Amino acid sequence: MLRTMILLAGLLALTGGIAPASAASTAKQPAAAQAHRVHRIVIDKMQYGPMPTDVRAGDIIEWTNKDILEHSATARDGHFDVDLKPGASGRVTATTGMLAFFCKFHPTMTATLVVK
Amino acid sequence: MNKPLLALALAFGIASVASVQAQTPAASPAPAINDAQIAHIAYTAGEIDITAAKQALEKSSNKDVRAFAEEMARDHAAVNVQALALVKKLGVTPQDNPTSQSLSKHAAAEIKKLAALKGNAFDKAYVDNEVAYHQAVNGALSDTLIPSAQNAELKSLLETGLKLFQSHQMHAEHLAQNLK
Ligand SMILES: [Cu+2]
Repeated sequence: MLRTMILLAGLLALTGGIAPASAASTAKQPAAAQAHRVHRIVIDKMQYGPMPTDVRAGDIIEWTNKDILEHSATARDGHFDVDLKPGASGRVTATTGMLAFFCKFHPTMTATLVVK
Repeated sequence: MNKPLLALALAFGIASVASVQAQTPAASPAPAINDAQIAHIAYTAGEIDITAAKQALEKSSNKDVRAFAEEMARDHAAVNVQALALVKKLGVTPQDNPTSQSLSKHAAAEIKKLAALKGNAFDKAYVDNEVAYHQAVNGALSDTLIPSAQNAELKSLLETGLKLFQSHQMHAEHLAQNLK
C-alpha cells in the first residue's frame, strides 16, 4: 500500500512537472488521488486570475503575485490575511464555504472562491 | 475647487498639445499626443502623488492616513520604475509637454496649501485632494492617454495604472468618509 502511494505520488509529480504551468490552473490529477491538492491563483495587473474550481476543504490555496505591486489576499471574515510582495507566493488551507477575499491595499480587487 | 481645476488643467494641457501638433503640417494623421509625451505625463502624475505622500508622512500622525500615504508612495514608485524601464527598452525619451507642466504647477500649489495646515485639517485636506487628484488622473488615463498610446506595452502599463488609480481613489474615498 505504501509503495503504491509513493508510486502514485511520483506519478503525480511527473505529470505535474510536464503540465504547462498555466495561470490559475488546477493541476489535473487522476480521480483516485486522495491527497490534498494545491490550487493556484495568479495575481497580475491589479487583478486576481481565474478562480480554481473543484476546491475541497483541506486543499491548499496558493496565491502568486506576478504584478509589479504589492498585494494581499485578505479574507472578508478575517480568517486569513496573506501579504504578497511582488514575486511572492502565499498559502492557506481551504475551509468549506464561500471564501470571499480582497486586497487590503486595493479594495477594487475582490474575488470569491467556492470550497466544497 | 480642486477637482474641476485639475480636470481643466489636464484637459487644457492635452488640448494645447493637440493644437501645437495641428499647426505643424502632418504627413500622416498623428495622434494628439505621442507616446513620449504620454510616458512623461504618466510618470509625472505618479511622482506628484509620491511627493504628496511624502508630505503626508512628514506631517500626519493619523495611522490610517499614514498607511494610505505609504501605499501611494510604494505603488506609484513601483509603476514609475516600470515606466522608466519601459521607455529605456523602447528607446523613447519622455517628452515634457503642457499637460505635465500644468500637472506639476497645480501640484506645487497644492503642496504649498497643505503645508500651511496641521493635524486633522491637514489630514482631511490631503485625503480630499487625493480623491480629486485620482479622479482627474483616471479621467485623463481612460479618455485620452490610454486611447492615444500607440505602443502596446505602454498601453498595458497605463491600463494597470488606471486600475491602480481607481483602486487608490476608492481607498481615498473610504478614508475621507472616516475622517468626517
Ligand atoms: Cu492589491
